[in-house]
Parts: sequence; C-alpha cells; structure tokens
Amino acid sequence: MSDDTREISVDYLARVEGEGALFLKLNGDEVEDLRFTIFEPPRFYEAFLRGRRFSEAPDITARICGICPVAYQMSAVNAMENAAGAVVLDPIRELRRLLYFGEWIESHTLHVYMLHTPDFLGYPSAIEMAGDFPDIVTNALRLKKLGNRIMTVVGGREINPINVKVGGFYRAPLGTDLDALKDELRWAIDTAAETVELVAGFEFPDFTMDYEFVSLRHSDEYAILDGRIVSSEGLDIDVTEWGDHFEETQVEWSNALHARLKERGRYHVGPMARFANNGDHLTPVAQVAADAAGLRPGESNPFRSIIVRAVEIVLACEEALGIIERYVRPDPAAEAVEPRSAVGHGASEAPRGLLYHRYELDSSGFIADTQIVPPTSQNQASIEEDLRAYVRGRTHLDDETLQWQLEQAIRNYDPCISCATHFLDLTVERAGRQ
Amino acid sequence: MTRRLFGIGNPDRGDDAAGIAVAQAVVGWESEVRNTGSPDMIESWFPYDEVVIVDAMSSGAPPGQVHVFDGRRDVIPSGAFTSTHSFGPAEIVALAGVLDRMPSTLTLYGIEIGHTEFGEPMSAAVQSAVTALAEELRRA
Repeated sequence: MSDDTREISVDYLARVEGEGALFLKLNGDEVEDLRFTIFEPPRFYEAFLRGRRFSEAPDITARICGICPVAYQMSAVNAMENAAGAVVLDPIRELRRLLYFGEWIESHTLHVYMLHTPDFLGYPSAIEMAGDFPDIVTNALRLKKLGNRIMTVVGGREINPINVKVGGFYRAPLGTDLDALKDELRWAIDTAAETVELVAGFEFPDFTMDYEFVSLRHSDEYAILDGRIVSSEGLDIDVTEWGDHFEETQVEWSNALHARLKERGRYHVGPMARFANNGDHLTPVAQVAADAAGLRPGESNPFRSIIVRAVEIVLACEEALGIIERYVRPDPAAEAVEPRSAVGHGASEAPRGLLYHRYELDSSGFIADTQIVPPTSQNQASIEEDLRAYVRGRTHLDDETLQWQLEQAIRNYDPCISCATHFLDLTVERAGRQ
Repeated sequence: MTRRLFGIGNPDRGDDAAGIAVAQAVVGWESEVRNTGSPDMIESWFPYDEVVIVDAMSSGAPPGQVHVFDGRRDVIPSGAFTSTHSFGPAEIVALAGVLDRMPSTLTLYGIEIGHTEFGEPMSAAVQSAVTALAEELRRA
C-alpha cells in the first residue's frame, strides 16, 4: 500500500442480521474493487434435509431463520404440495396468508422503525433515538407485538411456529381467538399509515438504479403466498420453471451463492420488486398512503425502500383484518397429502423477497435432494452494484461519512445473512489518493 | 407479584439451547421461549413485576459458568450475548430503560457456552448449569 492509499476498516456492521464484510478499493475516483462478503459459515441445511420425511421440511427449514420462519414454512409446504399434486382449499390458504402477514408486520416493523429509521434521523441505534422519539419506538413495540400475537394465535407460538404442516394446519384457531385481534389491527392500520407519512418525509440521497424487479405476482391480490414469478423486464413463468431461468453461482469472496438470471444477470427482490409487480393490488388505505407519499410502482431509489416497507405494513394489517372478518374455520384443518416420487417447487414472498424451494422426493416421501434460494443471496449482486454506483460520485467524502452511507445502502435491503448462509467488516482501500 | 421468565436460544445448536432449556425446566414461573431476543419483549414484560431473562453467553469463561446481571443497575456486556440484528439482551434492557418500561426487578442470567454445532446436544457442563439454575429459580 502506498502512502497515498487510504484504508477504512469496520469490524461489524450494525443493524443487519448476520455477519459479513465489505471490501472497497478506490484508486482516485475509480472503484477498483468491491466485494460484499458473507463469511457466516454455510449451514448445510440442504444436505441436512436429505433422507428426512417430506412432512418434516416445514419445521426443519423454519429453523434457518428466527426472523422469517413462516416464509420458509410456506415455501416448503407449497413445494411439497406441488410434488404431491395437492391443492389446499381457500380457508386453509387464507389462514396461511394471515400467518404470513403476521410475520411481515413483525419483520418489517423491526426494520423500518428500529433498524432503518435511525439512519435517516441520524442516530447510531434505536436506543438513542428512543430518547428523543419515544412515540416512534413505543408504536413499533406495539406493532411488533401485534405481529407476534398473530403468529401465536395462528402458528402456535410467535417464533418458529409449530402449527404448520403440509396440507394445512395441525389445529385451526377459533374465530373468537382471531376476533380478539381486530381492534388492535384497526389501531395498527392507522399507525402504520402515519408511519408512511413520517418516513416519506425523510431526506433521501439522489440515487436511482436500473433494476430488474423479480417477485411473485398473483392475479387477484398483492402476492405473498403464491403466484407466478414475474419481472419488470417481462419474465412471466410458473414457479416450476425457476431452474430454467435462474442459476446460482459461487463467488470466491462469499459463503453465500449468488443467484442470477441466466439471460440478464443480476436482479432485485424484496418490497420494491413486489410493489413494482403488484402495485395494482394495494389495499385501500395502503394505496392512499402510497399516493400521498408520492410512491409509484417502479420506484428505483433503494433508500426509499423504507417507504415501500411502511406501505406493506399498512397492507399487511388491512389484509389481516379482512381475513379475520371473513374467517371460516377450516374443517378439517388440513387435507391429507400423499407423497409420490416427484420434484416439487414452491415459492413465496419472504419479508426480504422471493424465497424459492425445490425438493426431490422418492416414492416413500423421503427427500433425495433440496435447493433453497433465500432473498439475500438473490440480492447480493444487486447490493454490490448499488454500492459500486453509490461510491462513484462520492469518493470525495471522508471515510467516516462514506462508511456510514455505505452501511445505510446495505441496510436498504435489510439483508438477512443468516438466511443467506452473519455481517460486517468494511475495508476501504484508496490508492493514488491526493 | 407477577413474574415472567424469558428463555432465549436455539434448541438445535448445542449449548445455545441453554436459555430455552431453563425456561422449559423451571417450575412455578410463567415462561416464554424465544429463538432470538427481540425488543418487543419489553411489551411482553411490561405488566410483570419481576422479569428474568436467561440466554447463552460467550465471554471466554468456562462453559457452564453462570453470570448474573441486575438489569436496573449493571452494565450488560453487549458483545457477549449472541443476537440478531444487533438487538440482544443488553440492547433490549437499555431500550426499556430509555422508555421507562423497566419491571420492578429484572435479572439477566448468562450461561457460558462452549459448542454451538447444529444438531448436537448441550454439553454436560451446560446441562448441569441449566438444571441448577432451573432449581434455583424454582425455589426463588
């Protein structure tokens, strides 16, 4: 390293899930090298699942993530039912969506209020922010508790729900159990809508990216549980065709596989992608809130993803209330699903984006092969490209400011590195700096 | 006097199951099991007078050693507890303090752990600490 070279090292990136690193090498104003590294060791879940019964997949894969276990359960049950040729009836499907919206409320609330808002208000964490803005934080705690209650009532417990099975649920909740959530959901809709207004007023960097947005799309609703895989560039495929259009590749600097479109490379999953592809299916209050915030499908400033997440909290609360008001208790709580020798594909929209599962089953229902593609590994290339582009006009910033803004750019994605394979050493090396 | 115990950990990762194991073994407490600490625990403990949190801890001490912290008085070492999104017991207790949502008593037990391999049982030293702490809490 020459005397002109500057290097910044950060041992740990705060407010993300997991451990990783960022290496940035600058030569004057040129980005010579940039690597977003996930060094959490591989977790071998795909190997761990081989030889297990098809019925065990929802509970085993739920352990991959303490933040979004329902996403893993839902993609797993979708895949297993696809393999068996089974289709569940509407009451079960509705209950699954309710459980999933509980997880969205919980996960999005944590990110919007506790992890991301401190960036925009200039606090190192929610703890310092709470001193000046106690109402923001207490509302977040109440919203998050509501998400937990939904998870508990439908899923059996708030973390790693135990009530989900292939074919449906072990026990369907009583209508009276769900009715108890209504008043709190009505409060939550109003509070979440106010939050959209709050976060839309933040100051955002002038920064947009050219993304191919990939998500599920459902013909009748804002996709969360199922649908076709679509993109802003015209991709429109059945979930079973995932392998025809996407591939995973190993990069030497990361323990997580990078996913890419075979034809066009990097793509973007998550709230902005869902909004781009499902923006016509917003619920009424969410639509009003999005409009008032000036948000349009196709929004491509990743820093404004906090507004989209806030809109999705409104939507999740409205959808949850609607499901409860229409609730017909499934009887039986689950349909019998008989496994067969087949390959099953399943996808759903985890809070951070598309989560794809593929299972190869033998005739006795034992798992022969598995592929799990979480959202963060799909976004890894997109995160790197964001960082590369963001640095390009901002090399004049001092190291401390640059580091803060790059960390914020990563938090735009709410990356869950534990899912992708924990995060963040940041090294900025500047060569030829005057 | 109402009291609630939170056991935090991952039952599939060896010694990291310690907090959950205490919550499941203790008698006479209203207990709650969590795979990860979360700030909404503050909402869950707010109506209670006495709150206990048991979590795995890694400070370099021998596995099975139990560290005890008074949540209202002691500085809780953030890095010694595993957490998600940088929100572990230390941050949760600090946030409760800022929001003036502390219970009358808040005790945090950190059980020193050794291995955290997937699918492995707890080590004998940690199991022994779990049993002893559950008994101590039962008698409390």
